[in-house]
Amino acid sequence: MRRALSWTVVVLTALVLQSTLFSQVTLAGVKPELVYLVTVVLAFLEGPASGAVAGFAGGMAQDFLLNQPKGITALTLTLVGYAVGTIRQYIVTPSPLLPVVLVGGATVVGVMFYGVVAFLLGVAVGTSFLIKVALLAGVYNAVLTPILFPVLRRVAESSRARKVFRW
Amino acid sequence: MALYRRARSTRLLVITLVVASLLTITVDYRGGHGGPFEIAGRATQTVVGALQGAVSKVIHPVSAFFSGLGHIGSLSSRNKHLQAEIQRLQQQHAHDVSLERVNTELQALLKLQSSLGQNGVAASVIGQSVGNFEWTITIGRGSSGGIKVHDPVVSGDGLVGHVVEVTPTSAVVQLIIDPDSAVAARLSSSGETGLIVGERNQDLQMQLVRPDARVFPSEQVVTAGYQGGLYPAEIVIGTVSHVYQQNGGLTKIVAIRPAVDFSSLETVLVLTGPKR
Repeated sequence: MRRALSWTVVVLTALVLQSTLFSQVTLAGVKPELVYLVTVVLAFLEGPASGAVAGFAGGMAQDFLLNQPKGITALTLTLVGYAVGTIRQYIVTPSPLLPVVLVGGATVVGVMFYGVVAFLLGVAVGTSFLIKVALLAGVYNAVLTPILFPVLRRVAESSRARKVFRW
Repeated sequence: MALYRRARSTRLLVITLVVASLLTITVDYRGGHGGPFEIAGRATQTVVGALQGAVSKVIHPVSAFFSGLGHIGSLSSRNKHLQAEIQRLQQQHAHDVSLERVNTELQALLKLQSSLGQNGVAASVIGQSVGNFEWTITIGRGSSGGIKVHDPVVSGDGLVGHVVEVTPTSAVVQLIIDPDSAVAARLSSSGETGLIVGERNQDLQMQLVRPDARVFPSEQVVTAGYQGGLYPAEIVIGTVSHVYQQNGGLTKIVAIRPAVDFSSLETVLVLTGPKR
């Protein structure tokens, strides 16, 4: 319960920041995709099941703020959360760069996937514009990861259920 | 064994969530506007709109600084561009006295019309779209201020867009640069009409213009204001920046530089209906 509450606050903060601060501070006109970042970091820390649920909930919240067919971000982020959580289990490296690479890569792939599904549903998404947005959002998210990752890890650790130590 | 079972239940969970997303997409797509998700959407918008209002007050000086930084590169090139523009305009000035007269007349007419014709609600911009694929702004007034869906929105410079969603205290405005936006428009000198479609961060495109229409550089484009249309007539949209000549084309495409600077909108006027 407490966990759901703290992640709700995180997602809401991400959405508000993205539509106020980061809509002014853009990278060549492209905003970061903070909900993608939150989903990937959560999947990275907590595994595929939590990643999928967080992606679904965060994606749905973002969808309801967009004036586009609802559910596409939820679909995208469910898959992103599950994929990142699964891939994470097979990577053993102590490198602190791993979250940065995962966030950047997953954002590029996720935004491309979003764009393709939106295009299939009749949203006007130009191909070159989609590629530009996917790459720049990926870069922007990767740059923000070193700043936001410690914050998100703290939220994850403080809200994680104690003593549950399963293998 | 336990690991295996957990992996299986995770997979089941993911499949459930994917199916739920697909259902949402289908139901929303089929339902269109006024579908069952409208209420949930409005609830989310209400909560986030309230937060945006609070945050944008605090953040505004910060973001103004950063957006100023971001524009330094474009400012110097803009400077050069403007210098060249001044020279060109000085040469042209003699030729366009008559054009200018028409223009000022139209402007005066426009001012008269907008000051007399419509009731307006002024609102401040409190946020922009969360997504990278749509161009909307959130404003700090809503249905309690008399704003309705489809109300036209203008600023001091010209046409901004129209309202696509309202909550009691905030409203979402689709900008005319959104690729889904279409505005019936008229070239001010010849009176030729066309449809202006958003092209994201580039100039607007005026489509469906008659191929033999005469288009002058930098002439003003205003809303056509058809009976029953979304926008009232004679609101400035922008100026002609380029004409694409298509050989053998059935229509002509005209690029329009919008009169409004959408990156620095702060206050807008929502037109809520004709004055009685």
